[in-house]
Amino acid sequence: MKLKLDKKDFQPFLQNLMDEYDLFAPIRLADGVFAYKKIDQPEEVDLSASNTQKPAKEVFFPQSETMFRYERAGKEARITSTEGVERKRVILGARPCDIQAVCLIDQVFSGKEYTDVYYANKRDATTVIGMACNHPLSTCFCTSMKGGPFAREGSDLFLIDLGEAYLVELLTEKGTAFSQNEFLKKAGPNDLNLAKEIEEKASKKTDASMPVEGIDKKLDQMVENPFWEKVQEKCLGCRVCTYLCPTCHCFDIVDEALTNKGQRVRNWDSCLSTLYSLETSGHNPRPTNRERSRQRIMHKFNYFPKNFDQIACVGCGRCILYCPAGFDIRQTIKEIQKG
Amino acid sequence: MIQEKIREKAKELLEKKVVDVIIGFGEGTLPLRATPLFVRSPDEADCLIWNSFCENNLSTYLHKLTQFKVGLVVKGCDSRSIIALSLEKRFKPDQLFLIGVPCQRMVDRRRVKKAVKGEILRAHEQGDQIIVEGEDFKTSLKKDDFLYPSCQLCIHRNPAQANILVGDPVEESPLLEIDPEVKDFESKSVEERWTFFEKESSRCIRCYACREACPMCYCAECFVDSSHPKWVEKGLSPSDLEFYHIVRAYHQTGRCSGCGACERACPMEIRLTYLTRKLNLDVKELYDFEAGCDGELPPPLSTFKTEDKQEFIK
Amino acid sequence: MANGLEKNWEPKILAFLCNWCSYAGADLAGTSRVQYPPTIRVIRVPCSGRINPLFILKALQNGIDGVLVSGCHPGDCHYISGNYVGRRKSATLKRFLKYLGFEEGRVQFSWVSAAEGIKFSQVVDEITQSIKKLGPAERFVKRSFEFGVNSSERKS
Repeated sequence: MKLKLDKKDFQPFLQNLMDEYDLFAPIRLADGVFAYKKIDQPEEVDLSASNTQKPAKEVFFPQSETMFRYERAGKEARITSTEGVERKRVILGARPCDIQAVCLIDQVFSGKEYTDVYYANKRDATTVIGMACNHPLSTCFCTSMKGGPFAREGSDLFLIDLGEAYLVELLTEKGTAFSQNEFLKKAGPNDLNLAKEIEEKASKKTDASMPVEGIDKKLDQMVENPFWEKVQEKCLGCRVCTYLCPTCHCFDIVDEALTNKGQRVRNWDSCLSTLYSLETSGHNPRPTNRERSRQRIMHKFNYFPKNFDQIACVGCGRCILYCPAGFDIRQTIKEIQKG
Repeated sequence: MIQEKIREKAKELLEKKVVDVIIGFGEGTLPLRATPLFVRSPDEADCLIWNSFCENNLSTYLHKLTQFKVGLVVKGCDSRSIIALSLEKRFKPDQLFLIGVPCQRMVDRRRVKKAVKGEILRAHEQGDQIIVEGEDFKTSLKKDDFLYPSCQLCIHRNPAQANILVGDPVEESPLLEIDPEVKDFESKSVEERWTFFEKESSRCIRCYACREACPMCYCAECFVDSSHPKWVEKGLSPSDLEFYHIVRAYHQTGRCSGCGACERACPMEIRLTYLTRKLNLDVKELYDFEAGCDGELPPPLSTFKTEDKQEFIK
Repeated sequence: MANGLEKNWEPKILAFLCNWCSYAGADLAGTSRVQYPPTIRVIRVPCSGRINPLFILKALQNGIDGVLVSGCHPGDCHYISGNYVGRRKSATLKRFLKYLGFEEGRVQFSWVSAAEGIKFSQVVDEITQSIKKLGPAERFVKRSFEFGVNSSERKS
């Protein structure tokens, strides 16, 4: 079903949404800096960025999350768990690459073998309103990674910006719950044609030429290749790529404790830290940046495909845009395939 | 011109085996960015470039290359980082060959991006202009209007110590009594200052890009990773974010060359140099010390004078 | 900023006292029965040069209302020059804290010798009065133990 939301109705639509759901959407943290946060006022929502710095995964997998709190009172201990989700949620304005990435890490957090209740509860409670990319960046290569600027997989509703209005496609059962929404009108043939035009134009813009076919097999042969020494030279090991990557999902669990109370917190972690693989004995199987950056590429293009049949990269281009040293994973992929 | 001289010198140094590797800049894959380049053979030397997009402080890579002889392309700020590092005995005296470049000041790619509508696909310099092109626009911007804040206020553009200078020294800006950026910030009220700091640090994602980009941050165990004692937690509590930034800045007291690499590396565009500029100013005022200017004077916090100022002590 | 000022709020002040001079001076104040406000909690250190600025920051983060660092007079340090080294750290840290937006008067420094029991009591009195005027510590205090932390739901 295809409906239309006039932009002049956008704020009331959001307010109406917030009456029923907890809304997560991009907000502007500073000039040019965007991230997803829980919305308090509809005016905070800012969909103007090509993509946020911090990926959409943080709505389901927050960077810092308390797992439980405890307090000792005399001989008793009181534990407050935080795994429950009180209200239904909506994530609005997530780009197809970020949504594809969330579906990818679903296999880790709520896959066949294990269920992470913190992630799963949030995921189940959330309706995903995706948004198409009318103007993909030149660094976007989602179409090489089985995605695309108008890819609808994973979205319950899908928005396409038509200028004066959004085309709203209701795609799943969670989406059709919006079919009676007072702000959504029927879309006319002009709207549908405009959307098609925009989609055609946008789909030509992304880089569909990245040679990722069979890269996992190529990497199998390359474990001790001197290539890894060269590829990591300019890498600072700063971890920006892993923190902004929508598919990276490593975490660290720490206990923050005072004398009588404390909390167990899960924080994002990065395989690029020296400490990440440091063992209690003092031995570190990944002692230098060479091993760590090799691991990162291997995980994304070899280990994850072996475990889940998918490359753990959605081509969002954030690692290229924000790397302080100008490391470009597109170059690395091409060099690996060349041999 | 400078680019040619850099390539010539690099070729010569590698041919004569004076150094094992030259670290300079090469063409990046993104507009307005050069990227660090590691050249190990004379025929690769022609990949070295020089322009107003060579913003990285390359001395941060030295910590990975302690067993090699390294040739390094340095701007004014980079050379002062090297002097500060050598005071801390981070490398052997003959380990480095510095190719000094009098700096034309670097362009702030973020401000350029924000000045145009649409994605910038190509950019190049033309005299004192930067020409940026997108899909449906082509604009010329005056370079001097788009410099990094640390470059705008730089008074040490010529490398302080280099084995060779590949360009004519540039005219330095006059030494100002007090840093205008610091003065401006100090004129704000206590509440305004804290609110600003709180807001800036709240965006932090603890990626530590600032720390890794900084040549002076080389501790084997950073204070954030210490678990006994645990100074700061690893999460995003606002207080922990503030703690991290206060201490990282403070650890630069008397060591920071003001290169601005920290601020440029930050993906969340947090203002960081305004903190280190204050520390640099204080160290100059209190102890007449400026990091990286004198290779003999000991770092100010490692020494003392009996007549040091103490008007604040009861 | 005196928000949330409870009726009978008494400041909590951490006092780092060097063992040889200031701690002995505090001791003398006690044995001489000199009265001073009971607001300080003392941590004895070998020398004022031992003070790592991280101690002061950690204390502020944990909610202490004020910090006093006290050592031997210049020239009198038991370890010859520890107090000189500490003096430089104190000077730079104090200026930096003010620049950041910490209220002036929360962190104070003094030289108190082993014979200056009365001076010690005066120093404690002064810092207590300053902190009382400033109110309880608000900025920088870590509060996540009360509410837990969830970074995608917390507003920036």
